[in-house]
Order: sequence, then C-alpha cells, then structure tokens
Amino acid sequence: MKREGVVSGAGWRCIKTAAGLLAPLEREVVLGDLAEADRGALRGLIDVLGLAARRQIAFWTSWRPWAASLGLALPASLYLMFWSVAAGDAAGSLVGEPSNLRLLWLCLSRLLLLSCWSWTTGYTVSAVSRRTLWASLLACCVPCLDCLSKWPGHGLSGLELLIFLVPGLGGAWCGRQQLRLGLSCAIFLMAIAMLAPITAGTGGWMYGCWLLWPGGYLLTKAIRRPALISKSH
Amino acid sequence: MIGEFEFLILSAAAHLGEDAYGAAMREVIETAAGRTCSLGALYTTLDRLEAKGLVETQMSAPTQERGGRAKRMVRVTGNGTLAAREFYESVVRISVGTAWGRAPRDAA
Repeated sequence: MKREGVVSGAGWRCIKTAAGLLAPLEREVVLGDLAEADRGALRGLIDVLGLAARRQIAFWTSWRPWAASLGLALPASLYLMFWSVAAGDAAGSLVGEPSNLRLLWLCLSRLLLLSCWSWTTGYTVSAVSRRTLWASLLACCVPCLDCLSKWPGHGLSGLELLIFLVPGLGGAWCGRQQLRLGLSCAIFLMAIAMLAPITAGTGGWMYGCWLLWPGGYLLTKAIRRPALISKSH
Repeated sequence: MIGEFEFLILSAAAHLGEDAYGAAMREVIETAAGRTCSLGALYTTLDRLEAKGLVETQMSAPTQERGGRAKRMVRVTGNGTLAAREFYESVVRISVGTAWGRAPRDAA
C-alpha cells in the first residue's frame, strides 16, 4: 500500500466517505487509484466528488429519475397524506366506538388501501430509479414538511399525515433490493391501487387515476420477468 | 468521429498496453498532454468509449500497492484503433500547410 499512508487520517476518511456516493465496484477502483497516486487529500476529494456529480448528471439524462421523483413521489405523497389522514381519522373513531362494525370495516379498508398503494408507490419509485432514490425521497419530504408546518390540528396529530411513510418506505426498500413480485401479487396490488381513487370521492378521483401507473408498472414487470427467465434458460 | 479527450484516452491505453488502467492512464495523459485529468472525466469517458465498442474493460485481481483494491483494466479494441487512427490522420491532414503542421510534400 503505497499512498494510503500519505493521505492518512481525516483526509482519507473524508475521501472514503465521499466515495460512498459511488457504486461499490467503482468505489473500489477509484479508491485504489487514489491510494496509488500521490495527489493529496483535497485533490482526491475533488476527484471523488467530481466523479459522483458526473454520474448523477448522467442519471438525470434518462426519463427514469424524473418519472420517479416529480412524476410519482411528489404527487403521490400529497395524495397519500390525504389517505393517511382518512385512515387515521377512521382509526381514531374506532377507538371511541370499538364495537361499531361499520367503523371497523371503514378503518380496515382504508388502512389496507393506504398500505397497498403506499407500498406499491414506494416500490415503483425505488425500482424505476434506484440510484436517484435520494431525489425521490426529497420530492416526497418537501410536501410532507410543508403540510406539517401548516397543519391546523383540529384534534388530529400531525403525525397522522405521515402514516403512509411506513409502508411506503418498506416498498422503497423492497424495490431497492429488486425484490421479485409474483403475478398474482402484482394483480392484487394493482386492483387495490385502482380502488383507492374510485373510493376517494370526486375531488381526488382524476388526480388519483393519474397515479395508477405504479400498479401498471408492477404488473408489466411481473409479466415480463418469466419471459426473460425462460429466454435465459 | 471521436473527440480530443477520447483520443487521448485511446492513445494512453494503447501506449500502456496490458498495463492500462485508470491511475496509469491518467499519469500518461497528464505527462504527455500537460493538462489536468480528473478521475471523473477519465471514467465517464471510458464508459462512453466502452459503450461505443472502442475499448473493453475488466476488473483485475486486487493488488497490495493499492491497499488490496482491484484495477479497471482497459484494452483498445480493433474499432478503437481504427477510430484513433482516423482522428489522428484528420488532425495531420488539417494541419498540413499551417504554422504548426508539417509542410506539404509537393511544396518542399
């Protein structure tokens, strides 16, 4: 090891931390190049950050990051916040009247719709553009923080706005891990996702329909996969 | 036709032969061309050249001098050689008769 000792201490730690922005294989190659060359910590850091910036810019020349962040994460977070409040409201009412079967049904159905749609959305956001997940998270967080700052209360906690984040982040994690979905699972999630805008009432109906494409994406992905497997065999 | 920096990378890789990888190519380019070469420019251009089929890259085994890290070895393909030659010949052709180019044969 020739140069890792020269750029030692805090400088090398900074370089290694910055290299976390790169893909694992490229990270090893770049750190190896920097360890071999005598360039100094600052130059090494500029090199790593420059490469990471170039890689990110390259990602954004594709439609995928735009579709995932501005086309889905941003509008879906607004709609899912509405569903979070609806589900939270139903759950609150059920706590007041636990024997009310109508409330129980309302609460369970809203929670199911919210969970499935949020999971589907999180999965799609992550699967469509894994490397720009940070931008999709940002696009999701901005309206959430804005709504939280303006939340009037009326007996409801601001955290009720964010119930959707739990299944959504779970879906995003599964999408990032490239979890394989079966066809029946994809059809189920798509059907649930179609129910959500229909039951949302007139206001959110058209807006909700526009957000149906994650269901279609899941279905397409589930249909395509067996064909690819059979081709590879 | 390839660009100037692509030509430099192809030339550096051809010059280094079987020892062509990121850090060594960067050293050659900076020494020969007298310009700074960032790793970002180097690797993104290498990716572009690989996508065009002008170079092939593969990971080497980890080496001790790099802290046990692998190298991305580069090999110029036949198409890469043709593209570099085409670029070089056009530079030579366009330079003939200029203050910095060779004198035309028939003018000598």
